[in-house]
This record gives sequence, C-alpha cells and structure tokens, in this order.
Amino acid sequence: MNADEPLFDSNSNTDSGGASNPAVRSLIESLVNEQSYAVLCVQGGGQPYGALVAFAFSGDLGHAVFATPVTTRKYRLLRECDRVSLVIDNRPTKAGELMEVEAVTATGRSQLISRGREFDQMSELLISRHPYLKSFVLADTCALFRVEIVRFLHVTRFQEVRQWIPTAHS
Amino acid sequence: MDPDRPLLIPLDALRGADDQIAGGKASKLAQLTRAGFTVPKGFCLTTWAYEAFVSDAEIMTAIRMELGRKSLDDMRWEEIWDAALRIRSVFLSQPLSKQLRAAVAEGLKLFDPSTPLAIRSSAVGEDSAGHSFAGIHESIIGVRGQRAVDDAVRLVWASLWSDAALLYRQELGLDPARSRMAVVVQAMVDADCSGVAFARDPRDTRKDHAIIESVPGPCRLLVDGLVDPDRWVMNRETRSVVSWLPGQREDSDNKPLLEPQDLQAILQTVLSIEQLFSWSPDMEWTGRSDSLTVLQARPIATTVPDDDEKRSWYLTLRPGDARLKELRQRIAGQLIPELAAAGEAFAAEQLEGLDNLQLADSIEKRSQSLAKWKKIYWDEFIPFAHGVRRLATYYNDAVQPDDPYEFVGLLRDQPLLAAQRNSVISELAEQLRSNSAVRTAVEQLLAKHANSIQWSTFRDQLREREGASEEFVRRFDDLQDRFLDVTFDNERLRDRPGPLLRNLIELSQHASLAESHRVSPSNSSFALQEKLLSAVGPERRAEAMDVVETGRVSWRLRDDDNLLVARLDSQCLRALKVAAKRLRELGRLTGGGHLKDSHLALLVRGLREPSTGLITVEDRLEFEEPKPSVTPQGQAPRQLIGQPASPGLTTGVVRCICGRDDLGKFRRGEILVCDAIQPTMTHLVPLASGIIERRGGMLIHGAIIARELGIPCVNGVREATEILRNGDLVTVDGHLGLVTVGASDFELEMQF
Repeated sequence: MNADEPLFDSNSNTDSGGASNPAVRSLIESLVNEQSYAVLCVQGGGQPYGALVAFAFSGDLGHAVFATPVTTRKYRLLRECDRVSLVIDNRPTKAGELMEVEAVTATGRSQLISRGREFDQMSELLISRHPYLKSFVLADTCALFRVEIVRFLHVTRFQEVRQWIPTAHS
Repeated sequence: MDPDRPLLIPLDALRGADDQIAGGKASKLAQLTRAGFTVPKGFCLTTWAYEAFVSDAEIMTAIRMELGRKSLDDMRWEEIWDAALRIRSVFLSQPLSKQLRAAVAEGLKLFDPSTPLAIRSSAVGEDSAGHSFAGIHESIIGVRGQRAVDDAVRLVWASLWSDAALLYRQELGLDPARSRMAVVVQAMVDADCSGVAFARDPRDTRKDHAIIESVPGPCRLLVDGLVDPDRWVMNRETRSVVSWLPGQREDSDNKPLLEPQDLQAILQTVLSIEQLFSWSPDMEWTGRSDSLTVLQARPIATTVPDDDEKRSWYLTLRPGDARLKELRQRIAGQLIPELAAAGEAFAAEQLEGLDNLQLADSIEKRSQSLAKWKKIYWDEFIPFAHGVRRLATYYNDAVQPDDPYEFVGLLRDQPLLAAQRNSVISELAEQLRSNSAVRTAVEQLLAKHANSIQWSTFRDQLREREGASEEFVRRFDDLQDRFLDVTFDNERLRDRPGPLLRNLIELSQHASLAESHRVSPSNSSFALQEKLLSAVGPERRAEAMDVVETGRVSWRLRDDDNLLVARLDSQCLRALKVAAKRLRELGRLTGGGHLKDSHLALLVRGLREPSTGLITVEDRLEFEEPKPSVTPQGQAPRQLIGQPASPGLTTGVVRCICGRDDLGKFRRGEILVCDAIQPTMTHLVPLASGIIERRGGMLIHGAIIARELGIPCVNGVREATEILRNGDLVTVDGHLGLVTVGASDFELEMQF
C-alpha cells in the first residue's frame, strides 16, 4: 500500500481490505452523494494543479463526470495527462472538528467525451445532479470529462484510511 | 397539503393581519372584508405556495446563479433587465406542481367560470407604511380559466425578480433573496367609473385635504396613466369640495364625473379605512355611492427613496402598450423626420456667407435646437426603447421558447442608419481592393500625414496622385455628407477622415472576419413572426403585430436617434469653428484648445460685440496623471466574467478603442475592447475577431451586430477597458461569457 494517499498524515494506518468491506463503499457513496464539489487534481510539465469542479458519480461509483471550459488551465493539463485525482470532503469551517471530517480521494484516468450518445448520457448524469449548470455543460465551449475510478481512499477520524477498488468488485 | 402551511386561503377566511403569509395587499383586503367594506371576492395563494414553487423547481438555485455572476451594484440596468428576463423565463418554464394546481382549482370554485379575474401581487412588505411598491410588481387582469390563471400566477411570482423590483429593493436596501410573494386572485368588477382616493393630499399631508380622482371605466386606465382623471380636493373636516379640476379627455362634456353623493361615499370610505388602519391610505375604488367597491388600500407614498436618480427614473420607464404605440407614431411619424430635417437644414446653411450677427444667431439657434432634441431624447426616445423589451416579454409569454432571446430574430434586417453607412463603407473598401492605384495613393498620403489632415486637403492631394479615382473621391464625399457629419469624442468625424481611411485600407486588404450567420428558415424573422402569431391565436393577431412593429421601430430608431442627435451636435460644432476662425483672423481670439459648448457664449458675444476683448480658447491645463492600475502589483486578471452576448470562441490581441485616434489603429483580427460599441464605430466590427465591452446587455447594439455577423462577443465585463491593455493576448468565449487573459503556462513555477 502506498503511504502517500491519506489526506492528513502519510503514516496513517490504511486498510487495503476495503474492497471486501461493504461499509466503506457505503460511506464513500454517502459522502459523494452529500457533496456537490470536488477538488480535481491534475498535472502537467512537472507541475501539479488543483481546481474545484462540480461532479456526479455513476450509481456503481465506477466513474465520475465533470465539465470545464476549454479555455481553462485544467482543460489544457487534462489533454496533456489523463491521470487525475478527485478529493471530496465534508470539512467544517471551524477548527477543532477534525475528528468529524470525512474525505475521499478517488484516483483514476480521465477521458474527454465527444458529442454523441455517451456525451448525452454523461451530461444528463451531471445535469441531473446540478440542474443549474445545464447551459454551462451544454455550451459549445464546455468540455465534458469522464473519470474511470481506479481506487477510492476513504479517510475518517483524522488518520483512519481505508481503500475501496470498484473494479475489484465487478 | 400541510394544514399548518396552507397554500390557499379565501380572503374572507384570512384571519389576523399576517403580512408574512398573505403579503401586504391580501392581508389588507382581508381586514377590509372583515370590517364590512365591499371588496371583490377572491382568494390568496400564500407565500407558502410561492416557497413550494421555487423550492420544487430549484428556482432559487437558478436565481442565485444568475445574480451571483456579478454584484448588483456593478450591473447596468440593461444587465439587470437581462438577468430578470432569464429568471422570468425560468419561472415560465416550470409547471406548477400537482398540489399547487389543485389549490388553484379549489380557489377557482369561488367564481363562475366565465368571470374575468384579476391576478395581483401581494409581496411581503409591499405597500407597508415605510415604502410603496406601487407599480413595481405585476398585476394581470381579464384572466379566464385555470391554465391562464396558472400562467398569470407564475408571472406575478416572477415579477418579484423583475428589473424594477430588483432595482427598487436595492435602493431600499432590501435583500431580494429574502423576499416572498403571495398572490391575490379576485373577481373583476365592472363599473362605469373608478378612481383613486387619497385620505390626505400626498403633496402635503399636513393639510386637511383629501384627494379624489376619477376616470370613466376601469381603474387601470387611471393607474396606467392612460386617461386624465377628474380631480377633487375635499376638505376632510367639512367634507366639502375645495376644488374640482376636470380631466382633459376627448369625450369629456365638462361635467363632473361624480355626483355629490358619490364624492361623499368615497370620502367617507377612505376616512373610515384611515381609522381602521391608523394610517392615511391611498385607495383604489370602482362604482358609485350605492355600489362602491374597494379594490385596494395602501399607505400613501409621500416620498420615494432617491439615492440614485437615474435608477429611480428608470423605474418610470415602462410605458404601457398604448403609450408605446403613441410614442411609435409620434417618434417615427413626426420626431425622427423633424430631427433629420433639422440636421439637414443646418448642414445646408452656408455659414461662411453670414455676417457676424447672423452667424451669432445661427450658433444660438443650433444650440437651442440641440438642447431641445436632447430633452426629447431623454423624455421620449429613451422610454420608447422599452418597445424592444416589451416585445421580448410578449414573445416569451406567448411562445415560451427555450432561448429567451429567440425574439431578437424578429429585429433582423431593419434598415438602421448605421447599417446603411456600413454598407457604403464596404463598397468603398471593395473599390480600394479592386483598384490598387487608388489604394496605394491613399496609403501614401496617410503615411505622409498624421491623423489630423482635413478631408478637403486630403482630397486635393489625392486628386493630384497618379491613378486617383474621381469615383472614390465622390463616394467618400457622399459618405462624409450622409453619415460622418457626427461628433465622436467631441470632434466632428468628417473633419478628421484619417482614422476612417485607415479602416478602409484595412478592410480592403482582408476579407471580413464576420461569417454572416446563415439564418435557418426556422429562425428567420418571418418564421418567428408566424410562430408568435400562431401562439397567440387569431383573436390577438392584431395586438401581436402591433407589439412586433413597435419593437422593430423601437430597435431601429433607438440607433438612428443617436446618430441624428450627434449630427446636430456636429452642426453646432461646425458653426462654432467658423466663428472661431473668423475671430482668430481678426486677431480677437487666441489659444489652440478644442472648441466646446462652454465656449459658445464667449464666441457669440465676440461676434455680436466688436468691442469685446481678446477671447482665449485654451484647454484647461490638465496634467495627465498616470492611470492608477486597477490591479495591484503582483495581481493580474486571468479569467473575467461577462455576459455571453454572441457565441463563438476566438483568441487574439487586445485593441482598446477609447478615443477617436484609436479608431484608425484598429487592425484586422484584433479583439475590439471598448466601453460600448457606438453607432459611429460599428464599421470596425467586421474587422474584429472578437469583442469585449464594459457595458453589458444582450440587447445593446454591439451584441446584436456581433450576433448577426457571427463574431464572438462578451459584454458586461467590469473595468474591461482599464484591466485589458493593448497587445494583451485574450481568449473570448462568447458561449460562456468568459474572457481568459494570457496563456495557461507554468513558466513562473518552473523558475523556482
């Protein structure tokens, strides 16, 4: 198990047996359903880069979808390198509630979706979660990305980290 | 339905004066009903119904997205109008839930199905003693049947977010997001006369006077200002008539509209209401002494908060259909031809042949004419601009299109003066393209002279050149006379043809960047008109055509009037220049400053009184302070938000057009950045690869021209002309309304 994934502490105790633990999946599902926005992490030219995106997950949590204008830095970086992470959390604004924070880091590979049947399905998934983004998502200069999730890392109680691999389940 | 949060309450069952549930109007009507006043029967859709609708349909999120893009303080009213139109469209596109429809159906059982209904706003806090929302929110009358009532209710709810409502709340410091709206549905009562009564004279509430106004027919004729009322001042104590002023009406026989017993009944009612509420009301009523019905009562608005005169003034800029039609007839039939004739007459006058006294008279005449037309511009032309906005809401209500700007297609191909001028410019550019000898001659002369060269000198020198075309000279002369006798940046454009000649060279060297939008048959002006006519049905065909025609004329003339007033301004400047030249030759004028209106009195006096001393025309010494940078050091814009005014995506370098000299510097493919595209600079648009304007609005001319030419445009970009500098590389995203500045590299990061 890599030791660099946890949100707060690289030496946390991870649980690689998550795939067999339905509770982790369910916690992940609850969190991604509760939250609307994720930090998208991308890279390019040796430089990591993070940006907030509105997302939606498929019912089986196997993939996520988000949109970005084609004029953005993240779009350029996504076109250069498809390896991405999404960080989703319920962090409070007040300090001192650290133990209640829950976070998920989802790693995977992104793919630009061209207009067509898949675009219609993926955009519908995103729009049904964020109806107010309809004109944004469907604009000609907005790009839709699908992220194939490789692994979820779920963090609770500051340092408790468990992982879940969707493909191990299917 | 939650019994603790009813969606509907009949007016006679509404207990307590709960403004929060029923809104101001309904709760007062309920109190009046209970106190025994005759009030038309009806019901109230509570603020809970409004809340259920906006939360079911996620309308609040859509509103937050719309209004969150920019602070309301930074929006021009055109932008607020745009936001309000889009919000209105969201309200209209969301059907009422089953529960809400059932509630309305239940309420409608109160009435005979053939009864025409009035659907009125009753917002929380509306018409309270602190402030009046009179005329701000929507009321719809003559509504029949559930479907029409459902539509009307949504429109009344949406009017909580109308441009006027947003601006007014902003003035009052109220948060629109916390506002809620109940709706009153009442039977309409027909009577032979109606009116408004004020328990005290609103002009001076300390006087012991009440005011009664009356018109024949329904009350809205008075409220909408369509009919001039009879007006009585009544003594509150003695109940006697202090004065009577008959209304100016065509059918008036100069007899008072109301009998003494009617006046007494109305006065008694308004004073009783005053006693009931403990504040002085303004009461709308209909009927006579034996059948007096109270339509509504609210506190008299004696003062209107007026922090920003322009915005308050804007609230008055919503003339009704009848007023718009009247304006159209007067403006198109009389004012615009008169304005054009005035400009032509001044242009035809040979000023050089006049003696000094005649020249002084002519200057004054021109100045008076300009002042007169500027007043007409504000008083009549600007309110007439509402014709396009009226067309927008009329079309959207009837057709309910996905795109709230679909109606713009109805304005296509109007013979705007600016479009006629641009077509002449294109022909001249084509002539230069096909005749390289003339083009070379023009280029050489432009290279030799600075921008300040006069056309007469330029023309003479051009004629001396080999290959010069008399045809080009003649047509440019014609262009000057017909279209360039206007001021721009306090200078007559025709006096300084350099920038336009440079534009012509540029236009002649390249094909236009504009890819004229191929108008699909389904989107043609004719097809949209047919779509509207079929949506309104044969009964309203004439009304719809009237609204369309008014919209088209409003759109065309609101561009032409700018050019025609600019022509008068140019003719004033022309006379001042002749006077200045004459006095200078006599050694009685010194200084090389720009002539301005402020020099007018001095020059006129100089012409009339030979004994006047030396006149000095100097620009006040103004040291050019370096412009403070909008962005602090180390901070730079990366992505700016505006309105997606014309779709498309383009990248190019910025050229700011801030003054007359900038016009000639514009090169093909540059991104045109300006405060607003004025009618005098629309010929640059085909050269631009993209447009960024500070002034926002989907219906401003720059946006519509860009859309017609298929050039990406983002407008409403705050401080665009200050933030963006000539030469900046920008990407204009006209789909999303974004301007991206610079490249998305990590050069800086890589240096560390």
